[in-house]
Amino acid sequence: MVSRLLSVLVLVLLTLGSAQSQRFDQIAKNAEKALAEDRANDAVHLYQQALHLQPSWGEGWWSLGSLLYDQDRFGEAAAAFRHFVALTSKRGPAYAFLGLCEYETHDYQKALEHFRSWASLGWPGSRELIDVAAFHFALLLTRDGKFVQALYLLTPEVVRLGNAPAITEAMGLASLRMRNLPEDYPPERREMVWLAGEAASYAEHFPPDYPQAGEYANRLVSHYGQQPEVHYFRGVLFTFEKKNSSEAAKEFGEELRISPNHVLAMVELAGLEIGSNHLDEALSLAKRAIALEPNNAQAHDAMGHALLASDRLNESAHELEMAKRLAPASADIRSHLAMVYGRLGRSREARAEAALSLSLKKKEDVLVPPQEKLKIVQQAEKPR
Amino acid sequence: MIALAVLALMLGLVPNGAGQARPHSRQTASRSFQQLSLGANHAREAQREDEAIALYKQALALRPEWEEGLWYLGTSLWDKEQYAPARDILRRFVALRPDAGAGWALLGLCEYHGREYSRALDHLQRAMSLGMGDRPDLKQSAFESVAVLLTRFERYDDSIGMLSAMVNSGQCDAVIEAAGLAGLRIPLLPSEIPEDRHNLIRMAGQGLCAAQQGNSDQALQSLEAMVKAYPNEQGVHFLLGSYLMNVRPQDGIREMQRELEISPSHIAARNRLAEQYVKMGQYDEALALAQEAKKLAPENFSVSIAMGEALLGKGDTAEGIRELEQAREMAPDNVRIRWDLVRAYSSAGRNDDAAREKQEIEKLTQSTTQDGQKQ
Repeated sequence: MVSRLLSVLVLVLLTLGSAQSQRFDQIAKNAEKALAEDRANDAVHLYQQALHLQPSWGEGWWSLGSLLYDQDRFGEAAAAFRHFVALTSKRGPAYAFLGLCEYETHDYQKALEHFRSWASLGWPGSRELIDVAAFHFALLLTRDGKFVQALYLLTPEVVRLGNAPAITEAMGLASLRMRNLPEDYPPERREMVWLAGEAASYAEHFPPDYPQAGEYANRLVSHYGQQPEVHYFRGVLFTFEKKNSSEAAKEFGEELRISPNHVLAMVELAGLEIGSNHLDEALSLAKRAIALEPNNAQAHDAMGHALLASDRLNESAHELEMAKRLAPASADIRSHLAMVYGRLGRSREARAEAALSLSLKKKEDVLVPPQEKLKIVQQAEKPR
Repeated sequence: MIALAVLALMLGLVPNGAGQARPHSRQTASRSFQQLSLGANHAREAQREDEAIALYKQALALRPEWEEGLWYLGTSLWDKEQYAPARDILRRFVALRPDAGAGWALLGLCEYHGREYSRALDHLQRAMSLGMGDRPDLKQSAFESVAVLLTRFERYDDSIGMLSAMVNSGQCDAVIEAAGLAGLRIPLLPSEIPEDRHNLIRMAGQGLCAAQQGNSDQALQSLEAMVKAYPNEQGVHFLLGSYLMNVRPQDGIREMQRELEISPSHIAARNRLAEQYVKMGQYDEALALAQEAKKLAPENFSVSIAMGEALLGKGDTAEGIRELEQAREMAPDNVRIRWDLVRAYSSAGRNDDAAREKQEIEKLTQSTTQDGQKQ
């Protein structure tokens, strides 16, 4: 009796399952048809129905997420992309879309994580997606205080798209080292951000347009010369031009007058003092920088470089090794280390550091995720 | 609130009386939806806004595509200055009703408040092209916001065009700072002007408004006072020069040259000067300036117009046409380029091409008239 009942029950369940499966197939087919015919609202509705019946349908989540994203319904789109990511091993572009949705819903930490995951997979996606995602990734890096990385991502966009207003604003925020998004910085700083952004963008054109960059930078200094970061930025532009080092030194000095604890201005100025053979000044600046930020690789590099120029080779090697530990993927630090090892007669180590510096340098001008740079280091330093 | 209800009727959102629910397969849900939607509408009509918002949300949870509910929830949130939630609801609304200009307008205004300026501009422009019906407040807010956003996106000439229309309709005081920013080519919103820059920007704006009102004496007085007070400021000589070009061209030229000393990469000054030289038949000078401008801004259609006109003036018709065709590619809706091409094609004996351009001019003129009527 029991077994007969069980058989009937199994039969009923199988029939129901088969009916549900047929229903799913039909709705999914209709959803895809609506999508192909550009009936977005119908498609959203149908995908939602189909996914209710079969939540494991990865492609369905992808299509639903994309449709909702196109309608600027970012919260709902993020939920769909999260389902997709959980169901598939091909997560590449979905991470970028997820990051974009989370940016819009102000879930910035998660957005940054997803952009990083996307970058670690090699920046997959269409040109358009890469542009949009790299731009927002850069905005979040700026907010996170990773200004150089942000500028590194924005530069190719400037080269390709010119001084588009949104990119200019992003360049301005990163150049002035403001940990803000375009939506949340004080409105009265808008002109300052714009002027810095224009100057930075022209300096990143290919070939660089330093006259136009200088015009905007002068305007920035004339109106906002008493604001922190402005003279540091002007000084950096002068160093880009690789001339006017006395002008650059003046700007870094002015920044230090306004912001006495500006470590990067100290580091830059120390570098210029080494170039002018003012080694005591360079050592003093580097020492101050390290005292303020003991874990700043650039400060240790400046100290190591100054000690190298002062022929204090063992101390120099010690400082540069410290810098290397703090920033293993820095081509400049490796190059300085190669020099000091060479002068100490440690030829094998000198050759290794020089080769590594070269490999890292080659990657500096192209869009390479930091992880890839670290891979170069790890491969080179693998014990043989 | 009443006005929004009228607007809803106008949009066709309330087909058979406010809050009537559509038939629904699940009777319990349908009853519940009906109760909630009726309650929401009653609460809204009785100006119990918080209650209305809560009920609309509950009703929409049962029926997410209830257009009327989305609209009223969006507008209620807007009224309570809850711009981000209003924006999210209005996005759902316009996805269902892409033809609802008022929906796009309110969405754009929410985005404006949230400093999502690029989206705000897109959506407000879409609202203007769709039309917003008989809703003067909404139309005016959308129009003003677009005018100032165009300046922020460095589309100064487009912005000045809209601000001029506002001056003509008697809103001079409201647009002085916006006009000053557009005239000086500083891409800020009026709310972003730093404290110590208001005076300069107001002087520029007063000059532009007076000029637009045809008050030449006051325009000249304001602009000259501005130049006297801020002789080394970028943009001031360009602004005075642009005005003088029409009344005292030689003085206009002098001011433009002064601007180029202060701002060597000022593309608009170089361009305006080139145009003036074309007018005066000094084609070599015009061409030299246009070529310099082209190096600075190869993608600027105004530069290509100046270059094309200078080349045509020099008798280099083939190159002139090529340049103007480039300009047309960059700005297909620009009527001046089309007229230049009509003349150029005609003088090159390309009558079919000239006729085609004339047809395009007619189409563009018609569409501009229709847009004007919608707005």
